Amino acid sequence: MKRTFRGGLLIGLAVAVAVAAVAVTYEIYDTRTLKRTVRRGEVLCGVNKGLPGFSIPDDKGNWTGFDVDFCRAVAAAIFDDPAKAKFIPLDANERFKELQNRKVDILSRNSTWSLSRETDYDLYFPAVAYYDGQGFMLPRARNIDSALDLNGSKVCVQDGTTTILNLADYFRANNMKYEEKKFSRLDDVVKAYEAGQCDTLTADVSQLYALRLNFAKPGDHTILPDVISKEPLAPVVRERDDDWMLIVKWTLYAMINAEELGVTSKNIDAALKSKKPDVMRLVGTEGNYGEELGLTRDWAARIIRHVGNYGEVYDRNIGAESPLKIPRGLNQLWNAGGIQYAPPIR
Amino acid sequence: MTRMRHLICMAMAAAGLMLSASVSLAQQPDEGDQPGLIADDTYQLDPEWQKQMVYYRTTEPPGTIIISTAERHLYLVQPGGRALRYGIGVGRDGFQWQGLLNITRKAEWPDWVPPPEMIQRQPYLPRFMAGGPGNPLGARAMYLGTTVYRIHGTNRPDTIGTKVSSGCFRLVNSDVMDLYDRVPVGTKVVVRQKPEL
Repeated sequence: MKRTFRGGLLIGLAVAVAVAAVAVTYEIYDTRTLKRTVRRGEVLCGVNKGLPGFSIPDDKGNWTGFDVDFCRAVAAAIFDDPAKAKFIPLDANERFKELQNRKVDILSRNSTWSLSRETDYDLYFPAVAYYDGQGFMLPRARNIDSALDLNGSKVCVQDGTTTILNLADYFRANNMKYEEKKFSRLDDVVKAYEAGQCDTLTADVSQLYALRLNFAKPGDHTILPDVISKEPLAPVVRERDDDWMLIVKWTLYAMINAEELGVTSKNIDAALKSKKPDVMRLVGTEGNYGEELGLTRDWAARIIRHVGNYGEVYDRNIGAESPLKIPRGLNQLWNAGGIQYAPPIR
Repeated sequence: MTRMRHLICMAMAAAGLMLSASVSLAQQPDEGDQPGLIADDTYQLDPEWQKQMVYYRTTEPPGTIIISTAERHLYLVQPGGRALRYGIGVGRDGFQWQGLLNITRKAEWPDWVPPPEMIQRQPYLPRFMAGGPGNPLGARAMYLGTTVYRIHGTNRPDTIGTKVSSGCFRLVNSDVMDLYDRVPVGTKVVVRQKPEL
């Protein structure tokens, strides 16, 4: 009798602890981002304060850019209205904390995906939006088209970054010599390069194109196709909110699949009449994939109509139609020379 | 002699243009062809269309030409995951095609004999035009299979990056000369179009 009583007490205690643990977990891990977003009526997007091509506001507070358009795509998928995205500029050092603190629903802020960032902050990077990486810029007149021809070069580089380590690794791995010209400020790196103090300047490729824009004669400088480091830029969401994570992930994949299938903001109405199974599943005339995501059947059609496919967003903000004119390179589709590859919608 | 040839070209072009004026209402004008116009060698291409080495991942062997009609780029595959990329002008909508062909013939300063179907669409075009700077085929031509299509130069560098031709691929003369020296007869040419809905 006594024994049973004690046993019951133990079981009761165990149940209480379990319930408490579930409650605490529930508190820590937010699993209701979609519900809150829908109730609020807008997606809160953490973005860079000002990075041309990726996210930058004009004098009237209108945001444009590749990262900005991605957030608009998520808003379009949920609300059928790309304007239902609110942009909240965040500093590099506060961005992950602010996402954890639920100040934003998504970070779409040129953030490199790495293991420690996912584990240290309990965050999740759903898919790579833009493959960046370290490259080299040099005067076109030097007529070099491979980084392997840079042996013996004087290299301008910013000190105190991973850039300088990647540089050392690359030259060592290829048995090449170089002379480092390092500066703590990026401005000084550029000035030294412009003054001819070095043969080449190294930084992330997207940054090289942005820097080149400010030169007196941008056309006199070329950026090599070689990429010597991995900087996969991805949107970020909180861990353990799988429903929300899937929406963010498949928004990007819908845009990439749309480009692969030739569906654009201009031909979306024709696409809705298409009899091609891949196209029908994408635009929602076949299957209920959108509903499975917690959205509507036409979720992807909304994205494409309001924001465009991956290639359209790329070209408009950082590619051929933008001042940056960054070649697609790694970010070209997998079947057209690059590595952008989205799992199929089916 | 060359001068004489130019004069003949100009005369033919002038006749062509006069004819074109009279039929232009009935006929869709072809912005891309301007026989007789001497190419402006100082024309500066937009960086997007300038020849450059780019990252390019493919299973096709080096030396293969891959043409992306949608991008308006011609890639010459190089070893090591890269390609030489040239800006091109491509066919108008409805005049685009895709498939695998080989280069069957190469010619310097080719003569131009517009094919019958082109004459039918654009009767104002000359029936024959000798090769030279005013020739719309430009400095070089590479013939694709047994088709009427070619990779060729142009006297209209401003049409690079546009959709104007009757299905040919045009490069600026300096680029087509560069490409010509890099590819032998027999080179595999893969033409890709954007997917259909």
